[in-house]
Amino acid sequence: MPKYADDPTWADIVPLPTDEGGPNPLAAIAYSDDYSETMSYLRAVMAAKEHSPRVLDLTEDLIDMNPAHYTVWLYRAETLFALHSDLRAELEWLNETALAHQKNYQIWHHRNLIVDRLCGEEQGVVDEEGLWKAECEFVEQMFERDAKNYHVWSYRQWLVRRFGLWGPVELEFTERMLARDLRNNSAWNHRWFVVNGRAEMEGDGGLGVEDPEVRAREVKFAMEAVAKTPQNQSPWNYLRGIVRKTGMSLGHLKGFAEQYASLKEPDEVRSSFALDLLAEVYVEEKKAKEAGEVLDLLATRYDPIRKHYWQYRKGLLGVEGAAAA
Amino acid sequence: MASLQEDSISIDTLDERLKIQSRIEELPDTDDEGVPFPGKGQIPLNRPASISPSWLQPAVFGLFHIDDGTTTMEAQQKTTAECLSYLTLKDSQDLPLNLYGLPHLRRKAHADFLRVTLGTLPAPYAAMDASRPWLFYWTMAGLTSLGEDVSGYRERLMETVRPLQNPTGGFGGGHGQLSHCACTYATVLALTCVGGLEVVDRTAMWRWLGEVKQADGGFKMALGAEEDIRGAYCAMTILALLNLPLELPQDCAARKTGLNSFTDKLGEWVSSCQTYEGGIAGAPTNEAHGAYAFCALACLSILDAPHKTIPRFLNIEALIHWLASMQTTPEGGFAGRTNKLVDACYSHWVGGCWSLLQAATKSPNDLWSREGLIRYLLTCCQQPGKRGGMRDKPSTRPDGYHTCYSLAGLSAAQNHYHYHTEESPTTFLSSAFQWSASRPSKEEMAQWSIEEEDRVRLVHPVFVVPMEAVERARLQFEKGGL
Repeated sequence: MPKYADDPTWADIVPLPTDEGGPNPLAAIAYSDDYSETMSYLRAVMAAKEHSPRVLDLTEDLIDMNPAHYTVWLYRAETLFALHSDLRAELEWLNETALAHQKNYQIWHHRNLIVDRLCGEEQGVVDEEGLWKAECEFVEQMFERDAKNYHVWSYRQWLVRRFGLWGPVELEFTERMLARDLRNNSAWNHRWFVVNGRAEMEGDGGLGVEDPEVRAREVKFAMEAVAKTPQNQSPWNYLRGIVRKTGMSLGHLKGFAEQYASLKEPDEVRSSFALDLLAEVYVEEKKAKEAGEVLDLLATRYDPIRKHYWQYRKGLLGVEGAAAA
Repeated sequence: MASLQEDSISIDTLDERLKIQSRIEELPDTDDEGVPFPGKGQIPLNRPASISPSWLQPAVFGLFHIDDGTTTMEAQQKTTAECLSYLTLKDSQDLPLNLYGLPHLRRKAHADFLRVTLGTLPAPYAAMDASRPWLFYWTMAGLTSLGEDVSGYRERLMETVRPLQNPTGGFGGGHGQLSHCACTYATVLALTCVGGLEVVDRTAMWRWLGEVKQADGGFKMALGAEEDIRGAYCAMTILALLNLPLELPQDCAARKTGLNSFTDKLGEWVSSCQTYEGGIAGAPTNEAHGAYAFCALACLSILDAPHKTIPRFLNIEALIHWLASMQTTPEGGFAGRTNKLVDACYSHWVGGCWSLLQAATKSPNDLWSREGLIRYLLTCCQQPGKRGGMRDKPSTRPDGYHTCYSLAGLSAAQNHYHYHTEESPTTFLSSAFQWSASRPSKEEMAQWSIEEEDRVRLVHPVFVVPMEAVERARLQFEKGGL
């Protein structure tokens, strides 16, 4: 049943059928008649650069059939902006669509364009706060289904940047996410971003972990996470990130690492990441022999899949050890 | 040889190609004195694979699997449970085994599986309507890494992609779709495999790439689309393989912001994607991700020699630390992010980083476990039964994407790639063409529990297509210009 060919609103359009390139195309898709027809109308309106309300209907129809169709999304955005459409209505429609197609990612770029425009000069929403609050809530709802969705996290970061949400509320959000799953590395990454992003992206306030108070708070936060899940790479990476960024001495972390792994009790290792850190502490202390012993423990006993990597680290040690001697 | 003539390469370039070919296939037989009796390689030299390697000892991976009630750990335990009996070879899934007790690489079954994706696909494949070029690339790359001849697809592929090319440059996912960096990348690489690059309108391509170049140095995926590191890698791959001019087109927006070349600010932009974890994100401040690590390293390896660009723009020790941590215990394959699950596609995205990093550090020794990855791919990722194809993990179904990148990962694990430092700097993107590759020694093959039948071919470490296909493209566009 042709949907568009029989519709008088589309009578003026000559559809452009698919050009398959030749009689024997590779990986040709046996499109349904519906899809095929709708696409041929999209090709025709795009060729005519038509931006009209009926194009919005057409693109909605196509997105329903194939949400991964980036062209349709981009053309829809262009059309919305050309028509000065009501973008709040678009946002409502997007909410349903996002929930129906959770794995889709084009939708998040589209959402970003819409929200940005909503707050832009043209539409200038009165209640910006209401908007970002609703957005944050919606995002959190998405995380209930998939707490590690890369594109949703990327959108969340954009919201923080766009609306300057660098305060305690966003930190609490990361804590809420981590309380649900202390191993959710996306939430750790977001925390890093909230703490340091302002200094890194805008340079207009806040030093991130280079502020001694912030650093102490974040070190404590990571340490408490390690206490709950010692073999959890995320907080260890977070600690290492702080060390790398601030240049703080690893010596401050020695006692902490030794709670989970020490050369004195090689049978009682509770975290391979503690051993890894301990090796670095010994390097800083110029104790190449001890560092080597720790790396041997990792290579032979506690983390043998990375044997070559630990040996490589030991090789670097040889050079540094010799230099120190 | 018929296929070579079709490639429209002149006779002297053919000679060149044969020379290159012999360099690639040369054996670094370092193990000649290794075993003093005939028939070596026929006899298991090492311990049989059925005895569990060190990382599969329960005492070791127990440390990694302490039940802490998190969603992440629940998923991890489920994955380990579905892999373990295959990894330890308690269950061979009725796959034919090699001399060492590991399943053979099912070459024919995987090749058949890939060829099917080039046939007519049923209506639900409309979901792939915007990514059909990927099907071409995954199939051509996968088939060639299995040593299959794809030259027979040349004419059909050229015909098929013609309507995907836009007059304003670049390729979309299908006829009438906007040009997109990923679709263009996949199309160009698939054409490279079959030797059909002349279908590309190079001038229009150059103009279009100028439009997606951004003032901050990165590239957008399409006009109006997101900017991420895939764009940077895809654009640089296209520029290098087609040997397009590096000067930006006069009228493009990036030029108005003071940029002159496609490479301006690019290294700095890639640098800004390195995260506090040491890995690389898709865009600044996002989470470190294995696929983006490969994009970053390959992009920098096209920009200039890896030992120059990689240490210049990235904290290399932090990156190695993070990449090494992606190899999972006990599965032995790679995960894509911290605290995420093993997935065969990262065999390439992470596994493919090592040869680039080794070139950057000039480290003579491996930094990772080839043996672990090979075991994961052969035991857990081959679909048993008639169908063939490779899969993310045992509980998933095989597809072209995972088959392609599992095979590319196997190639990274089984072969050696060497960067040859250039004598004199050149103006075009020549660094990615300075690679040679060599097979494993027999001793290594025994150590990794593989036989000749389980070997995949040499795959170019930057472009992820056959070495000789890259050479053919280089010769085709040697003159440069537009």
